[in-house]
Amino acid sequence: MSSPDTSPAAVEPGAPEKTAERALLSAIDASTRGPVFLFLVTAVLWLLGGTVFALVASIKLHNPPFLAQQEWLSFGVIRTAHLNSMIFGWATNAGFAVTIWLMARLSRVRLQHLGILYVAGAVWNAGVALGIFGILRGDSTSVEWLEIPPYATPILFVAYALIGVWGVVNFRYRQRGHVYVTQWYLLAALFWFPWIYSAAQIMLIFVPARGTVQSLVNWWFAHNVLGLWFTPIGVGAIYYFIPKVLGRPIHSYYLSILGFWSLAFFYNWAGVHHLIGGPVPAWAISAGVVASLLMVIPVVVIGINHHMTMKGGFSQLRYSPTLRFMFFGGVNYTLVSLLGSAMAVRSFNEIVHFTHFTVAHAHHGLYAFFTMVMFGSIYYMMPRLTLREWPSAKLISVHFWFTAAGVTLYVVGLSIGGLVQGWEMIATTKGADGELALKVPLFMQVVRDTVPYLVSRSLSGMLITVGHIAFAVNFGWMMLRPRAIGATAPTLFHTPPAMPLEHRA
Amino acid sequence: MGSATYLFVVLIAAAIIASAIYALNWAIKTGQFRNIEKGATEIFDDEEPIGRPTDFFPTKRRKAKGK
Repeated sequence: MSSPDTSPAAVEPGAPEKTAERALLSAIDASTRGPVFLFLVTAVLWLLGGTVFALVASIKLHNPPFLAQQEWLSFGVIRTAHLNSMIFGWATNAGFAVTIWLMARLSRVRLQHLGILYVAGAVWNAGVALGIFGILRGDSTSVEWLEIPPYATPILFVAYALIGVWGVVNFRYRQRGHVYVTQWYLLAALFWFPWIYSAAQIMLIFVPARGTVQSLVNWWFAHNVLGLWFTPIGVGAIYYFIPKVLGRPIHSYYLSILGFWSLAFFYNWAGVHHLIGGPVPAWAISAGVVASLLMVIPVVVIGINHHMTMKGGFSQLRYSPTLRFMFFGGVNYTLVSLLGSAMAVRSFNEIVHFTHFTVAHAHHGLYAFFTMVMFGSIYYMMPRLTLREWPSAKLISVHFWFTAAGVTLYVVGLSIGGLVQGWEMIATTKGADGELALKVPLFMQVVRDTVPYLVSRSLSGMLITVGHIAFAVNFGWMMLRPRAIGATAPTLFHTPPAMPLEHRA
Repeated sequence: MGSATYLFVVLIAAAIIASAIYALNWAIKTGQFRNIEKGATEIFDDEEPIGRPTDFFPTKRRKAKGK
């Protein structure tokens, strides 16, 4: 992959300094091209694979005989394969790509040590592929969110360590003294993930802790994958792209820094709320509940900041694909986090724990927030990396509306289903002695009552699949179509001079 | 084997906490929090200045260009 000469002189010999400055940004973008493409292409492939696994798993829940003949297609296997290909295949690869691109841009430095990233990308994807293959073979560890068999996890860890080292090296060489809030988030994420992953692997798989400590470690890890890995990348990306697309600085930079540090202090504790009612010391659970409620601080801070930055710029949603996805993701970050804090309250948790409500919540976080933010980032990055425009605006629209409608239907439908399920399971009745007693439900009746909501999930899955296909087609088309003749210099993303004034935020 | 491994896990956790304290201290010392609102303008420059949107739907952008 030979990169075109993008030095300032190549853009236009004798160009004014202004052009040179913009050309530097283009040169930085160009220097990230190889590794970012590697992570993006693999991410999109995993996204498609994970979507197929998801559909099969979802249909099985309301139509059990569907594909029931093969062991590797049974629900426990295919659902696990779905989860891991989405977490480690799609979301993490996309997160790596966005992190690399943003870190290079914010440090104002051309990407160095590309070799590390190529090796890391290849090793990471080999590890994930081996892990998914192992899961399909039946080697799952059966520890939630850590199902990848132990022979594949060290590979993942090595790949990750390489990326972490690269991140620190890149940061050391930065040309800007000021560390932008996005960089805080990304650097922290690069540190936090290897920590939670290695600690959980050691204490659960390689030298298993005893008894209930395992469940504590498990949920500390599983919740922190979202909170200390995906959330910082997603929120960090929003903090860059919304101001950048709108051309207006964040409403309050002070609040953004406050949000970062309060997230850093509180999130680590929150995962224990998954064990409410479980056989672990009550103080540990209480600490988790308190931390979950303290998370309201960073969430409200981030929500206010995003909204105030957007204020007055909402018309731009019509013009910018990136902003549309970012806005959807940002709003859902606020919603899913506040809902998550509410779910950690014992009285509400009693109803929704062990129901489909939790599943809806997980998809709300990982899809409606994180995945949508990644889509938005990719729409911004790709034209600057390929020096081409997206081939089809129509496909972008299809992608947005089908995934947005799909995930909304998913979350709403399954949340209602979860509440129905939860209420039926804890319904009480007045016994003969006048005392309230748990009305022992007919389990099959509860299952039957949730079927309509499970069907709605499969429908939403189909909508999302259409969106993903539109995205993949547009993405592949963009990657593969020949470059326009004469496009030797970077496309400079000037605002078209004829752009009507009212479109400027 | 077991207790030595857990000592290792505790040491990693301590290192992470130490790195967070170091980062906070470094940030304060190097003036990251001084004149804080200025930081928000860091991502803009002369060619992509404040007040100019940078992303459009492909066709809409082309249309605007044609006018």
